[in-house]
Amino acid sequence: MTLILEAILLLGLIGITVAIIFGKDLMTSVVIYCAFSFITMFLYIVMGAPDVAFTEAVIGVISTVFFIIILRSVNRKTK
Amino acid sequence: MTIIMLIVVITVPFIAFDVLPAIGDPESPPNSHVSDYYIEHAIDECNSPNMVTAVIVDYRAFDTMFETTVMFLAGISVVLIMANKPRRRIPSPGDFKRTRNTGGTPIYQTINKDVMISTIEPLILIYAMYVLFHGEVSLGGGFQAGALIGMTYLLDVMAVKRDKPIMNLTKFMSAAIAGLGPFIYALTGIICFIGGGLYLQYNKLPFNIHEAELHSIGITAVEIGVTIGVAGTIITILNALRERISFDDDND
Repeated sequence: MTLILEAILLLGLIGITVAIIFGKDLMTSVVIYCAFSFITMFLYIVMGAPDVAFTEAVIGVISTVFFIIILRSVNRKTK
Repeated sequence: MTIIMLIVVITVPFIAFDVLPAIGDPESPPNSHVSDYYIEHAIDECNSPNMVTAVIVDYRAFDTMFETTVMFLAGISVVLIMANKPRRRIPSPGDFKRTRNTGGTPIYQTINKDVMISTIEPLILIYAMYVLFHGEVSLGGGFQAGALIGMTYLLDVMAVKRDKPIMNLTKFMSAAIAGLGPFIYALTGIICFIGGGLYLQYNKLPFNIHEAELHSIGITAVEIGVTIGVAGTIITILNALRERISFDDDND
């Protein structure tokens, strides 16, 4: 059961990473990056490390907000 | 070159899966030497029900101290990089072709700021205090509490549009607050010298109470230091970014 759950989460991580890399809009990439840290949080819980999962949840939100603030000073669209 | 990289990236994990031990295997090398000592002696030596806290701030207190210092240095370096006024004018957001956001309203108009200030932010702060002072009993600790306090400031800045924020912290003041955290941590270690102990040896703190309470006081003092350091660092980075980038100038 745990193995199946881990497999689903890890496959989701790979898909999200590809979506981040090939995103046309940087804002989309940043928001999907938030989902990346969210799935990582679930992985930590499955692996039995709630301390690390808690840190990941908080830091994921904060780093996303920092990225969004920085996006105001660069061009959002990629080539 | 790209193909070689692809082959390495694809094949190395499959080899590593066979070599690495299974999760939670009691016979694996990481679980068979030092972990046994921690599991057997953590409650007697550190008087902390949470073994993670016992390892982080008691057995490996030096490690955590310099981690806090690294956080402080990260905040300082962001301030130094962003405070540098470039001679050439950097392109402002208005120089690019603006993509008008027609899909929504700004965040300070979508969020009810009365609810945010009166309900959500106090709840987050209370939870941060709970996480901080129950760090040695339940999960959590100084780092998480500091991040929650920093997130409260961040929500306050983002959700409420006003010319003067409630706490008017400049980036240098918040950097000074961030530096206070490692200072408190190091001071706790130095106080242990007075009782004749080693650096960060909590049971030699110069108070006349039981050893378990001395451990509790020492761990709490250290965690308060970590909390102040992390919260100050997050506020420092946010203030340094806000001075360079104005995001209240228009409605998107």
